[in-house]
Amino acid sequence: MASDVASKRLWHEYRLLYSHPPEGILAYPIDEAKPFVWEAFIDGPKDTPFEGGVFPAILDFPKDYPLSPPKMKFLGDIFHPNVYPNGEVCISILHPPGDDPNHYESASERWSPIQSIEKILISVMSMLAEPNDESPANVEAAKMWRDNRAQFEDKVKDGIWKSLGLEVKK
Amino acid sequence: MASSDEEATLSIPSLAFVAFLSFFIIRYFMSSRSTDTAAASRRAGQRFTGAQVEQLAQMFPQLSRRDIMWDLQRNGGSVAATTERVLGGRGLERAPPSFQPVIPVSTNAVSTAVRASVIPKAAEPDLITRYNLQSRISPKGKEKEEPAPATGWAANKDKRQEMLQRRRDEMILAARRRMQERDQEASGS
Repeated sequence: MASDVASKRLWHEYRLLYSHPPEGILAYPIDEAKPFVWEAFIDGPKDTPFEGGVFPAILDFPKDYPLSPPKMKFLGDIFHPNVYPNGEVCISILHPPGDDPNHYESASERWSPIQSIEKILISVMSMLAEPNDESPANVEAAKMWRDNRAQFEDKVKDGIWKSLGLEVKK
Repeated sequence: MASSDEEATLSIPSLAFVAFLSFFIIRYFMSSRSTDTAAASRRAGQRFTGAQVEQLAQMFPQLSRRDIMWDLQRNGGSVAATTERVLGGRGLERAPPSFQPVIPVSTNAVSTAVRASVIPKAAEPDLITRYNLQSRISPKGKEKEEPAPATGWAANKDKRQEMLQRRRDEMILAARRRMQERDQEASGS
């Protein structure tokens, strides 16, 4: 029964995102018959090292969505303080209100059923622009971001070039 | 009064009998169907299709196809279950040496085999490779531009699929174009 509610809600969000795609964001179920696995693409935000990149991710929804948030995982290499090396995204909107492993998030920025896929993706987009180094998921990236911004930016740009099938110039 | 009592006593056992009978009839059909599919899968030997393996391998290029097939084999060919497992961070179990899948016959079985042997070396395929956009990039490095897709909900599933694919391709190609332009500007100035 719970998954009926989830399917309905996901279908509703799909229709909305399809008809009114937000700028720089594309998200849809990979197969309409299986609404719990989505593919998403986020354009790197302007005036950040991520500008110009396109970042694909998989969204994996629980059967009790929207009570529980989905999991989000970037597919390609993405070097960012809040993205685990395996691609998993660590951001407060993807954490349920009851569970705050880092003890710094306020309940209002965490997941609740009034959030949406669009809001998640917009939050992730601003996370790309403004990393949060309080709870780094990728320690190496967080350190480099803090201590050697130029090196961090070069590494991110190299990743974008590679991901678009362009040769990285040394 | 007496006759209605009699009816009631008659109908309860008869209802029970009907329920009892239908239980066995349904069970008979269910079990015969499940033994049919079990037999079919035993005959075929595997419970997944080449397309499923391909789909998962494209989603998670870091995984070995053998492990993907092994997981699909055990969950009865559920791509969703395997995806969940991988995304849940549990990873896939290594396929035991005794697991000898027949590579499912698919139109691109050859390219599958070739790519499978390449994957361990290449970490992540770029977006152009992942979404087969090579043909959209001309030798000069400039892509052919396509008219911007219209928005609005399409009533037909295939139309929607096509539209989303076009939006995706356009998003990736536009990013590539922008990067190249920026590079040219930088080298020109």
